[in-house]
Amino acid sequence: MASPGFAGKILKVDLTSKKIESIDTAKYEEFGGGYGTAIALFWDLCVKPGDWDLQDAYDPRNIISIMNGQVSGSGIPYAGRTSVSGLSPQGWPVNWFTRSNIGGDFGTMLKYAGWDGIVVQGRSDKPVYINIINDKVTLEDASKLWGLHTWDTQKEIARQQTGSEGDAKRDWRSIGSEFALNKPAIICTGQAGENLSRIASLQHGGGAAAGVGGFGGVFGSKKLKAISVIGTGGFKVADPKLLLETREWYTGSGGRPGGMGGFGGFGPQKAKSSCISCVRGCRTRGEAGSNDRDQDGCMETTWADIHKPAKKNEHDAKKANPLLQQYSLNAFDTCFGGIEFGPSGTDFPLETPEASGLGYYIKRLYDMGVIGPGKYATVNGKKISVDTAPLKMDEYGTYDFAETYAKTISNRKGFGDLIADGAVRFAEKIGRIDDLNGMLRCPAWGHTDHWSMAEVTWGYGDLMDSRDICDHVLQMVFMMLGMGGGAFGGGRKQQNQNPEEFVMKLTKAFVPYDDDPYMFDYSWDNDQAYKTGIYSDHKAKLVAWRMHYHTYYKESLMFCDWNWAKPTGMGEKGTPFGEPRLYNAVTGKNQTFLEGMEIGRKAWNLKRAIYALQGRHKENEKFAGYMYRPGASGASFTNTLPVYNGKTWSFENVGKMYLSEEGVETWKTHYYKLEGWDPNSGYPTQRTLEKLGIKGVADILKKNNKLGVA
Amino acid sequence: MGKKDDKKKGVRDDKFSRREFIVKGGSLVAGGIVTTYHAKDLLAAGTSPSEGYPKAKGHVEHDATLCSGCLSCMIACSLAHEGRVNLATSRIQISRYVFDDFPNDIMGFTCQQCDDPKCVENCPTGACHVDAENGNVRIIDKDKCVGCQTCFESCIHTPRRPVWDSQNEKATKCDLCTSAPYNSKSEPACVSICPQKALKFIG
Repeated sequence: MASPGFAGKILKVDLTSKKIESIDTAKYEEFGGGYGTAIALFWDLCVKPGDWDLQDAYDPRNIISIMNGQVSGSGIPYAGRTSVSGLSPQGWPVNWFTRSNIGGDFGTMLKYAGWDGIVVQGRSDKPVYINIINDKVTLEDASKLWGLHTWDTQKEIARQQTGSEGDAKRDWRSIGSEFALNKPAIICTGQAGENLSRIASLQHGGGAAAGVGGFGGVFGSKKLKAISVIGTGGFKVADPKLLLETREWYTGSGGRPGGMGGFGGFGPQKAKSSCISCVRGCRTRGEAGSNDRDQDGCMETTWADIHKPAKKNEHDAKKANPLLQQYSLNAFDTCFGGIEFGPSGTDFPLETPEASGLGYYIKRLYDMGVIGPGKYATVNGKKISVDTAPLKMDEYGTYDFAETYAKTISNRKGFGDLIADGAVRFAEKIGRIDDLNGMLRCPAWGHTDHWSMAEVTWGYGDLMDSRDICDHVLQMVFMMLGMGGGAFGGGRKQQNQNPEEFVMKLTKAFVPYDDDPYMFDYSWDNDQAYKTGIYSDHKAKLVAWRMHYHTYYKESLMFCDWNWAKPTGMGEKGTPFGEPRLYNAVTGKNQTFLEGMEIGRKAWNLKRAIYALQGRHKENEKFAGYMYRPGASGASFTNTLPVYNGKTWSFENVGKMYLSEEGVETWKTHYYKLEGWDPNSGYPTQRTLEKLGIKGVADILKKNNKLGVA
Repeated sequence: MGKKDDKKKGVRDDKFSRREFIVKGGSLVAGGIVTTYHAKDLLAAGTSPSEGYPKAKGHVEHDATLCSGCLSCMIACSLAHEGRVNLATSRIQISRYVFDDFPNDIMGFTCQQCDDPKCVENCPTGACHVDAENGNVRIIDKDKCVGCQTCFESCIHTPRRPVWDSQNEKATKCDLCTSAPYNSKSEPACVSICPQKALKFIG
């Protein structure tokens, strides 16, 4: 029987055979629920059968797992997100097993329906949606939904399930012996997913999205338009009074702890909109006639707004924004430009900003005369058209351009077919993959740069994982302390900080490495980089901490990245004290922070085994070329970082940081050793896997000649 | 046939009309509790229920323009009362639908603790009563509730404010947390937990 907090079972739907099954959650509890459990499910359902090569995300044998967390929906704040995972069509050059993550209330509604997650496998012969009403699960015809954008899809399913799309008069509906007042929670894809774009998202509500990974395309490949869920049940917690008291302890009386909130969409929020149990509310509530309903303040807002190349006028940018959500596009990978925090925080001009997505890339190519009306490119001696029609490039930055851009990617007509698989594959198609050495800033595996540099452990995380890790823990620390460059303060407050005291204090949160302050040494361009800096074994510890923490606390417990981790400023409510106290209040356990980290480590190692089988090796685990060249850190707003010179600590602007290949290889060796992986291949070893209690994994790796040498 | 119909049928099969049940069954529920007000007490005293119920100490109001739709109030309500998370048994209901326009995208429905509580007036068993010891809050005694759902049909609000506890097959309603064993606060759990100050106790 599963522990308190879990619903107790996981739904499995095979769209090929139409078979609907239930999996006992308890069987996977050792992986922590959420993403950890999803990794184990992938292993059992896709790897163990051994009947395919794990290369094609659109293979019907691929699964997509959508999971809630053990404490989701319990009232614990910042813990209501939903994990999405499976082989990722966006992954380049390999469709790595990867994850995404979505806000709102889909996952918790799934739990209220009695399910800790849903695993979908197979491929339907016609468009369907999965309809879940508590224990009753059916496949519904979605032929008439195919071709609809995500908002209309959700409205139509709501109408089918409740008799109306939504209106001001709401009333109870009888569902068997239960009653329901709310509309169903729905996750779906739009036209981009239907047409197998590799940068298609899954959408929920007005703007919540699982953007990274291209999982909209996985839905499309399975002829799965949507999943709708109504849950009228509940779940038990260990001690309800303690849980309510713990919630109050954490938030204060109706209060909200500090931390990063949303930017609030366009301008002041009329009112906030929250994921379930969230006490902050980083999303907006839209007014009649506006387009800012249910938007949060990150990429979906900035997609067509603050990026300079696109910002012809704010009205157009605002109007354009819902296109992302409706057509189901990954905001980050399709954005029109970078967040240009420099050059005030750096002392050299930026040629290419952070987050230079597909939109920005095609504008650069157009300006360079590479693509455009009547243009051709020569690839391997063969001429191919790079005519940008139906895009009118001289309208770049207008609503009309954004609309055509969204449509042409989604329907793959004209130029859209070239770019619908994302910037890196587009570069590959037109023979410009060498742009990864410069203006095409995708540090690893074809994902657009986020904040990989100069806070280099984000970049290392990208490399060891399979995507932009989107883990803001240290960005929060450095930005909130005012140490960042550019828009967030330019290091104004750093003079008030004693660097050594700051580092020592920060280190205390990073259990089990809380005795190693050199994790925070950002020396990079001298020998110290190898001793204590970015190529040292100390940096390996910080990356391991991030990946283990992220895998369990953020992706399995579903703690929100915009609140956790909290290594500074929160005392006993912060890391490493707050997480276990909140968890234990729901579950009645006495789990320590370190035990949670070990669950993350176990799942992370299991994922590493999947990567080994997919073809990951030390030899191909390398950054894109631009990361090894000047300008790699050009756009980050966390460029002022602690540096240790062998004797003393100081805060230095490391905005010129770029990596050396030798240094990265050295760091990888340190990291592999720390994880207990083979330093020559990066494969997990038998000893490590046995110690983690997953010997069977070692057996399969051995059978496939992918087991590391101890 | 659903449980709702079964229950109603069960009452009617016993040849009791609702009013007959109130009068004839009155003695079954009167014993010893002098600080509660049931419809039967008032009828026996020749008082019109609609004129005779003492006012409740207050009620909870929801401001849809402040609410973020986090549903913390609903979770807290079910935790405080039943000790488990179950939005369906929450006495406060927040209905959220992002495709409706602000402020109708979020609607909150709270029991108004009516001056003229039809749920109390029409309850055939006296389960739904006015609790004078706790500020005259209109409350349902689970031990006496037979699950007939008459209170649902009697509620003048849409959606009706009593909710259905399917696990126990009984109705329940907002009691301002006067009978919430897991709430350690002096105010209703929904009010104290709301992070946006969208809920207020109006006394």
